[in-house]
Amino acid sequence: MAKQSHPTMSRALQRRENIAGYLFLLPSLIFFVGFVVIPMLICIITSLTNANMHDQGLFGSFIGLTNFIKLLSDETFLEALKNTFIIVIVSVPAVCAFSLWVSSAIYKLSGPVLSAFRCIFYLPVVTGSVAVTVVWKWMYDNYTGIFNHVLKGAGLIEQNINWLGDSKYALWCIILILFTTSVGQPIVLYVSALGNVDQTLIEAAEVDGASSFQVFWKVKWAQMMPTTLYILVITTINSFQCFALIQLLTKGGAGTNTVMYHIYWTAFKLTEQAGHFGYANAMGMILAIFIGLLSALQFKLAKEK
Amino acid sequence: MKKLLAMVLAMTMVMALAACGGNNNSTPSTQDTPQQTETQTPEAPSEPAGGGELTLWTYPIGDWGKEEQVKAITDAFTADTGISVKVEYLAYADGDDKVNSAITANSAPDLIMEGPERLVTNWGDKGYLVDLSDMFDETDKTEINAAAMTACTHSNGEVYEYPLVVTAHCMAVNLDAFKEAGADQYLDLATRTWTTEDFIKAVDALYAHFNAPVGAVFCKGQGGDQGTRALVNNMYGGTFTTAAHDQYTWDDPLNVKALEQLKGMPGIAFDASLEGGDEIKVFYQGILKMAFCWNIAQQLNPNQADTGAGLTASGEEIAFMAFPSESGAPQLCGGIWGFGIFDNGDQTKIDNAKTFIKWMCDSEHTVDAVKTANYFAARSAAEGTDLSAIWADNDIMNDYQVLMPYLGDYYQVTKGWAGARTEWWTMLQKVGEGADIAETVATYAANANAAAAG
Repeated sequence: MAKQSHPTMSRALQRRENIAGYLFLLPSLIFFVGFVVIPMLICIITSLTNANMHDQGLFGSFIGLTNFIKLLSDETFLEALKNTFIIVIVSVPAVCAFSLWVSSAIYKLSGPVLSAFRCIFYLPVVTGSVAVTVVWKWMYDNYTGIFNHVLKGAGLIEQNINWLGDSKYALWCIILILFTTSVGQPIVLYVSALGNVDQTLIEAAEVDGASSFQVFWKVKWAQMMPTTLYILVITTINSFQCFALIQLLTKGGAGTNTVMYHIYWTAFKLTEQAGHFGYANAMGMILAIFIGLLSALQFKLAKEK
Repeated sequence: MKKLLAMVLAMTMVMALAACGGNNNSTPSTQDTPQQTETQTPEAPSEPAGGGELTLWTYPIGDWGKEEQVKAITDAFTADTGISVKVEYLAYADGDDKVNSAITANSAPDLIMEGPERLVTNWGDKGYLVDLSDMFDETDKTEINAAAMTACTHSNGEVYEYPLVVTAHCMAVNLDAFKEAGADQYLDLATRTWTTEDFIKAVDALYAHFNAPVGAVFCKGQGGDQGTRALVNNMYGGTFTTAAHDQYTWDDPLNVKALEQLKGMPGIAFDASLEGGDEIKVFYQGILKMAFCWNIAQQLNPNQADTGAGLTASGEEIAFMAFPSESGAPQLCGGIWGFGIFDNGDQTKIDNAKTFIKWMCDSEHTVDAVKTANYFAARSAAEGTDLSAIWADNDIMNDYQVLMPYLGDYYQVTKGWAGARTEWWTMLQKVGEGADIAETVATYAANANAAAAG
């Protein structure tokens, strides 16, 4: 009898715990649905319409895939897409490689020194992006910036370089700032991951005669794969969504327009153009598809590894 | 029991969230306001109810962007009429975003202060603003500057802006630097005009002396782009739009000639890292020797730094100048600023807003409203008060009036204006990067016309 009643009690207990769990989850769920899921659905629907701020109602008229077809021949959008991919392709590997290198170099340091390094690299992350960008803007300034001052003083250039106004340099300047603000979190995560690598495996490999590189590649790297995957996905998404730097530094000029910035400009600046909300949302859909595909690819490769 | 409690708790949370969400809709909407309109005031009486509150959003038009000065004049208005005014100060950088978001959310302000390009061509054209035609009698029409009145009137005959102040945009030169380089000989400081030929000689002389660009065709964004437009249009007499304001004509060969000339001058940089405000700052610092984004407000307080009228940061003298032209008779872009009323469906508020406009723009208080803007009155007199000599006590303002006869066509009311501005500065960037000028100009002018056509 006791054996029969025990599972019944467990199920009741389980149900009560489930309800309590869902109740705890509910506030976050409501915000997630309200501010993520529903806007996403609205974005998907309006990308198929000519929605704009001037007509009554949230949705305009249904126009099928017209916005997406128009995007294929929109030179400004295609250039923004190209720039976005350049940022992602350059920034993501650079951030991962650099943070791994720094983490490998500092994770064995003593507590206070390690903390100091963590602080230094994490500082740009916790500092407001506007403050960081303004400082970089001063340094890049065409007329009074420190970069031009130093380079001219060293005799390396004769005329000032217009770092943020010349399409030869502007995008790379943006990538450099993005890099410095992106490495903080991966370094902290890698330091933590390296500290958690099973020492017995490392010692076993060393006893078996593995070189330092082999220990790193075959033992440490393999155990850090979940961390690497997380860093890759987060950095990729952040790079795809690069907006604040562009807004504050170049406003999309000098060959630095990105899809995120172009979405903003189309939706909120070109409000007199027909169907500007729908068109901007179509761009958002394209961006989301690319982010999804790349993230899925990263998950797949990491799983195979 | 606990299950029931859990359900009640969940429902409470959902209801609470719904209630919070409901608050967002408590602002007047176009759907619920007609009822109020019917029950409160069927027609638009000119007399206010003697109380109430108005919201005014103002762009930084002279000191109308400064709280202290605006508070003084709105407090006087409140004391006089009993209508309180809540002011929000917009910046040009994101002001349009805020207004557009407010329109979308049915929470637009009652009053807005800006120029015809936004009030008439954008928000008025889309039906968001109240027609102010009934505020102008025959006397008003004779007193108000004719060009300003035309610019404030939509092609459909409705008036969406009541003009308060006008000015002419111009350029500025660092007079001390010009003297140092021997380029001051090309300036006519009596008429504040110069020819294109003299402008070119002056730039060359300055470049030879300072060995660095002395002027910048700034093109980072649209901020201050009236300066680059006026420079290019005036050099050889090119146009920006048709006289009827129905098409962009900046692919005019005369503009191409001007751009080719500017691009070929080592003293002029096409700078995609600067907007108008940035250019003013660099000029104020004494680095650039001329600024193409200038007007009387800058002359009175360069870079808004409060370091002395008509002086750079290091105390060098700044002289305002008209843009160079072949004939020496420039066509300057104007600024026309005034008030518009958003149609939020509340007739009482519309009436109160009209009272505000009448008080500011056509009464004995207009002198104070104009002086707050630091520009020139858009009319010669207001209800018997002469406005033509209100700046007699200010030498700089008096001197600046020499430019006012050069006010040209106010073409910023052409359809597709926001898109055209984007095409303009993007085109300048491409020209600066070395693209074929004629081809680039034609492409971007065509883009502007295509966007305007919808």
